[in-house]
Amino acid sequence: MTRMMEKLSPQTLRILALLAVLLVILLFFSLVIPNYLNGRLFNRISSSVAIMALIATAQTLVIITRNIDLSIGSILGFVAFATGSLVTNNPDLGPVPLVLYSITIGACFGAINGVLVAFVRVPSIIVTLGTMALFRSVLVEYSDAKSITTSNLPQWLVEFPNTVLFSIGQMQFRAAFVAAVIVVLIVHLALTRLNAARKLYAIGSNPEAAEMAGINIHKTVFVAFVLSGALAGLGGFMFLARFGTITVVAGLGFELKSVAASVVGGVNIFGGSGTVIGALIGAILVDVIETSLVRWQLVSEFWREAVLGALILLSVAADAVLMRRFISLRRKRPKSDPIPEKTSVLDGEAR
Amino acid sequence: MGSLKSLSLGAMLMLTCASFAQADAIKLEGGKETNLVLLPKFLGILVFDQANEGAQEAHKELANPGELLFVGPTPENSVAGQIEIMTTSATQGQGAVMLSNNAGDQIVPAAEAAKAAGTKIVTWDSPIPSGNGEDVFVAQVDFGSIGTVMADMAHSILGGKGEMAVLSATPDAANQNAWIASMQEALKGAKYADIKLVDVVYGDDQAEVSYNRALSLVDQHPNLGLIMSPTTVGIQASAKAMQDEGLCDKVKVSGLGLPSEMVSYTMNGCAPEFALWDFRDLGYLTYFTAYGMATGQLKGEIGESFHAGRMGDYTIEADPGREGAKRILMGPFTVYNKGNVEAAAK
Amino acid sequence: MAETILELLDISKSFEMTHALKNMSLELKAGEVHAIVGENGAGKSTMIKIMTGVHKPTSGEIRIDGQARTLSGTQAAREAGIAAMYQEPMVFPDLDVAENIFISARNKGLFLKPTQQRQAARALVTRLGMSLDVELAASGLTLAEQQIVEIARALSEDVRVLIMDEPTASLSAYEASQLRRIAKTLAQEGVAVVYISHRLEEIFEIADRVTVIRDGGHISTRPISETTADLMIAEMVGRDVGNYFAKIPGTATDTVALKVRNLAVDDVFEGVNFDLHKGEVLCFSGLVGARRTDVALALFGVKPATRGTIEVNGTAVEIRHPKQAMDIGIAYVSEDRRKLGLAMPMSIQSNTSLATLGKFLRRFGLLDRAEERNVAEAFRKRLNIRTPNVDIAVGTLSGGNQQKVMLAKWLNMEPEILIFDEPTRGIDVGAKAEVHELIREFAKAGGAALVISSDLPEVMALGDRNLVMREGRQMGVIASENATQEKIMALATGQQNLREAS
Repeated sequence: MTRMMEKLSPQTLRILALLAVLLVILLFFSLVIPNYLNGRLFNRISSSVAIMALIATAQTLVIITRNIDLSIGSILGFVAFATGSLVTNNPDLGPVPLVLYSITIGACFGAINGVLVAFVRVPSIIVTLGTMALFRSVLVEYSDAKSITTSNLPQWLVEFPNTVLFSIGQMQFRAAFVAAVIVVLIVHLALTRLNAARKLYAIGSNPEAAEMAGINIHKTVFVAFVLSGALAGLGGFMFLARFGTITVVAGLGFELKSVAASVVGGVNIFGGSGTVIGALIGAILVDVIETSLVRWQLVSEFWREAVLGALILLSVAADAVLMRRFISLRRKRPKSDPIPEKTSVLDGEAR
Repeated sequence: MGSLKSLSLGAMLMLTCASFAQADAIKLEGGKETNLVLLPKFLGILVFDQANEGAQEAHKELANPGELLFVGPTPENSVAGQIEIMTTSATQGQGAVMLSNNAGDQIVPAAEAAKAAGTKIVTWDSPIPSGNGEDVFVAQVDFGSIGTVMADMAHSILGGKGEMAVLSATPDAANQNAWIASMQEALKGAKYADIKLVDVVYGDDQAEVSYNRALSLVDQHPNLGLIMSPTTVGIQASAKAMQDEGLCDKVKVSGLGLPSEMVSYTMNGCAPEFALWDFRDLGYLTYFTAYGMATGQLKGEIGESFHAGRMGDYTIEADPGREGAKRILMGPFTVYNKGNVEAAAK
Repeated sequence: MAETILELLDISKSFEMTHALKNMSLELKAGEVHAIVGENGAGKSTMIKIMTGVHKPTSGEIRIDGQARTLSGTQAAREAGIAAMYQEPMVFPDLDVAENIFISARNKGLFLKPTQQRQAARALVTRLGMSLDVELAASGLTLAEQQIVEIARALSEDVRVLIMDEPTASLSAYEASQLRRIAKTLAQEGVAVVYISHRLEEIFEIADRVTVIRDGGHISTRPISETTADLMIAEMVGRDVGNYFAKIPGTATDTVALKVRNLAVDDVFEGVNFDLHKGEVLCFSGLVGARRTDVALALFGVKPATRGTIEVNGTAVEIRHPKQAMDIGIAYVSEDRRKLGLAMPMSIQSNTSLATLGKFLRRFGLLDRAEERNVAEAFRKRLNIRTPNVDIAVGTLSGGNQQKVMLAKWLNMEPEILIFDEPTRGIDVGAKAEVHELIREFAKAGGAALVISSDLPEVMALGDRNLVMREGRQMGVIASENATQEKIMALATGQQNLREAS
């Protein structure tokens, strides 16, 4: 065990800790809810995580740079609506232009946030709190208080999210979920392998030092917001495909859920560390708790939010404790003397 | 819509306003100037937009030189937003505010202040529960009869026997709560003895929340045969969820829905029957009422009758559900099925 | 001699009303180590920031290779081959050592090459004579190690001008000598090295030329052979300081204030034994990694001891929390001003009262701001804190003045036992002497002082006795009359063992 711990990076340990917590939660609910663990549960969670995973990934990119994007739900809602009305008016448009359209609009909204945060230098919590309301109001205005309905959408779009690509037993791997996981993996690879991605972490870790190292903080933060917006836009497309009905409330509350998923997934809210794989597991964890609570007879409708909050806190705490335990296991290795031999010291300072 | 088969129930027939029409209905005189505000629960729901269309139609018909404003709060800010708009309308000296109340009795102080300032308060769709601060409520349908209609649809879909669950809007939506209560009352009848109401959950009138709640209902109640959703957002999300998961054979969906949104689910059997009144008519009638009161042509007293354009004559009466409050009952509503839904969706 | 790389001509810089630099000129040649000395507040930091493109000069000209240039930002300066490493290490706590070294924007290429990067990082660290796990996150490094990372980062770049701002302030003697050797080597390779240090002996060891600055202006530039320490100091302060390392007479009494036996924190240090008397100054010497700060943190309850006994005024105590330590009259002036000591954005006044807010509380829990101000003003005079008023944010003061605010904060508590951790690190000669005097005054008034210091001349001058540690072990205690720098270093490097000698 100890030897294994040594080999693993802290990030990997964090993910293991999260998986352990997830397992405990699944076991717990399987004890209190009859007929709980089955393929259907997997299908439920995977379908609903498909959207949240994208949003949590978007949020993670921004949080890593020591910022936050509270407008993410409004961006998603707007994009879902705009893409919906585009395809309603042009039913012949194929998947590629629609997805590009979604991503572009999302990126534009992200750019607005990015400019205000990175160049006008208004703290991101204030900027995005403002744009959260602003983007939603633009949606209300743009939508003319109408809604998009499934019946106006092309058949391929409505069917896409639930197309079963392959199944393992009762567990169906559907297109939306698989697509979301692929996107998360791509972002993960980019964050761990790309030279430029290091800048995001550096800025969140120590902005002053990043500036001194010649990193263009403003540009990098701007890019982070644009990417976050683009991913939120993609989330908007998935939202449209999955729910079909888009009213002006689409994506309401996603901003806080995405922050919850990221933080549960081990992304440091003060920036500098975290992985999108963690955020994905965080999203799964939050969704499992939420879905299961609804089925848990013991908890009434009115207490559900409170219990959800408490369980999220509990899993964050459990994860932190596990993490510390893992790290102390790592520390126990006999360490080599960190101080080199100093035979020539008397030639040095002591004149 | 006129060509549709309208289904009036016994209980409703007794209450239908026309049958109570007294002496002479007041013919409202057009062309008088008054500024009116149409205030929905929040913006972005199709039915409210339809109500606005009806109100605009009446506005033109009555040739009111004043303004008709359609303003509402954003969804996340519904309660506070409604109170604010109510207060602003009073200070602006608007002739009347037409309110679909989503703020419960929290709206009362603002509404009373508006009334004191001379602004008439006409509620529609969803009233002020206590009736305080309200001049009159334009009821789309008798709340007691909605319960019976829903119970009957459940009876017909379930074949008289089975488990059903309710997926409502928010836990404090006055109209939905009243309808659910009246349905529970109706279900006590011997005819419905084998229908069991197993759960009531809330989807917050958000598509994604309603969708997920519908699925968890299925998970939680293995023998569930029907989801009854008395909200247009909830019924559609439930139907889509059942269709997406291939559950339509087992679990049906019913409730209150818009034909244009529900047509595909009715045709493929996911939602064989649902009901709704016409929100355009509701907006039209509400406008006539508000116009009449704001211009002083209507006193708002019980027994007063007036002529509401193409819809005919209506009478102000005591509201049986709310002591001391007054209502105008629009009625009737339409039950949609495979036979009539396609025509209505056009 | 070699060609000129960088020139500052008549550079002035003002911030609102204050003139940080006035007609400053400087010429840097390839292959030289150019020392810059001056008191804190003389304008060294501003000058560095001008050279690294952080600030733009209000007037004057910067020339690189004889061409007038405008440095639009840090990136432009880096591209021109100008790199700087600062007094407070600039590291990224969440990134590992190798990533820290190669974070610079000049490190191009689409993909990260972790294996290659680690190898290169290892080579650089080895070149610095250090052994560091390059896969370790920087958050786990000590200040000295962080500094090493920063030096390595500067080395990793193709530097033409390397500005080292107090690079050895927190390094052990050995590491410092290694670093000086590297600075020298870099100069021999043709780099212009700007070396800023308060340790004059270092300057005599490696500098080719010395520039003295004072009050934002240039005073003199001389080849090292044409100057002396006394001359430099006189030019720096504009007055004759004289014997700033003179031995200060002791005031120790026989009463034991703090008695420590077999103190240990598992896996950190063990076997620490000493008596600290009232009126005494006990110095803790040792190299980086000696774990002296850990002993202090144990005594202050930050990282409580796991074994051993502590007696204060003859009563056995257990210290689990800083609040407990403060309640029994122990205060700790931290080495790391930024992290543990001061609330930088808050005013001098607020910082002074921070540890002793209870004293200023009036009815209904209201703060007596007038009294708070009086106390802060009194300290400003007593400690000679150079600031127009006490409302100024501490972060805007120079290092020496920040240190004085720290002292004010803890002296305000009127502790019986005061632990100073590197109290004069990175502050100028004049301020150093003032801090020494303050510590002495504190002892004279009956306080017991424990001073952790890596500055041997300081230890010799200030301490009544010296406790020497090495790698978590107490190596011995030497009375100051018997101490020589050589003896202390011999203990600190483990070349000699000594029983408790007091």
